[in-house]
Amino acid sequence: MPIKINLDDILYERRLTLTELSEKVDITLANLSILKTGKARAIRFSTLEAICEALQCQPGDILEFTPASRARKASGGR
Amino acid sequence: MTNSSPNALSLSHRILAILSRLNLVAGAFILLLLIAGFIARNWVFTALGVRPPEGNESLILGMRAIMVAGLAAVAMVHWILSRLLAMVHTVRIGDPFVAENAERLKEIAWAVLGLEVLHAGIAAIAGSVSTPAIPLDIRWSFNLTRWLTVLLLFVLARVFEQGTVMREDLEGTV
Repeated sequence: MPIKINLDDILYERRLTLTELSEKVDITLANLSILKTGKARAIRFSTLEAICEALQCQPGDILEFTPASRARKASGGR
Repeated sequence: MTNSSPNALSLSHRILAILSRLNLVAGAFILLLLIAGFIARNWVFTALGVRPPEGNESLILGMRAIMVAGLAAVAMVHWILSRLLAMVHTVRIGDPFVAENAERLKEIAWAVLGLEVLHAGIAAIAGSVSTPAIPLDIRWSFNLTRWLTVLLLFVLARVFEQGTVMREDLEGTV
């Protein structure tokens, strides 16, 4: 998918675990895990707002758009 | 949700299962009557009120056609009940918004429409072979409620289809 989730990087920068974030934003660990691994098909504004609030960041820090062609090149044309 | 829902579902399941069996019994009875009408023609049709059977060939033919139509109706009712049972089962296991149920509703709508057409056909046969001496009292009249039911079922099937797509979208939403 051209939308990449950078939640792992932000969590590392903030020295937080997914479980701690889950407690802060009141979203289940399972759902956050789906988001982190890029398996989510959509994200609610309320979820984004809660994560940004908890991590003190902007939506753009979490979501990154990579055109499909570039993503393919980066992965060696697979 | 109240506790009555599982009970109501369980009751619906039982009623549908009983109706399904009764329908098959009715089908077996009609089939038996149809076959017996060929083996012991005079006895069967005299018992059905065609006296004398001789000279009433068109009436007997009409009655046989009605029996065949009756068998088709039993098959359609079985089709409807089996799909309803499957739908109730999905509700019982807590997953009714599936594409299969939308398809089942559409099939039920077609079957109800087929039954209505069959009903009109049976009435037409009865009307054409009925005689003043031996009247076949099967009438058909336009019933708006039944046609509206067919329409409603088609609309519901579409609603189900949309609901299923929406649920699939929601499943991947965090």
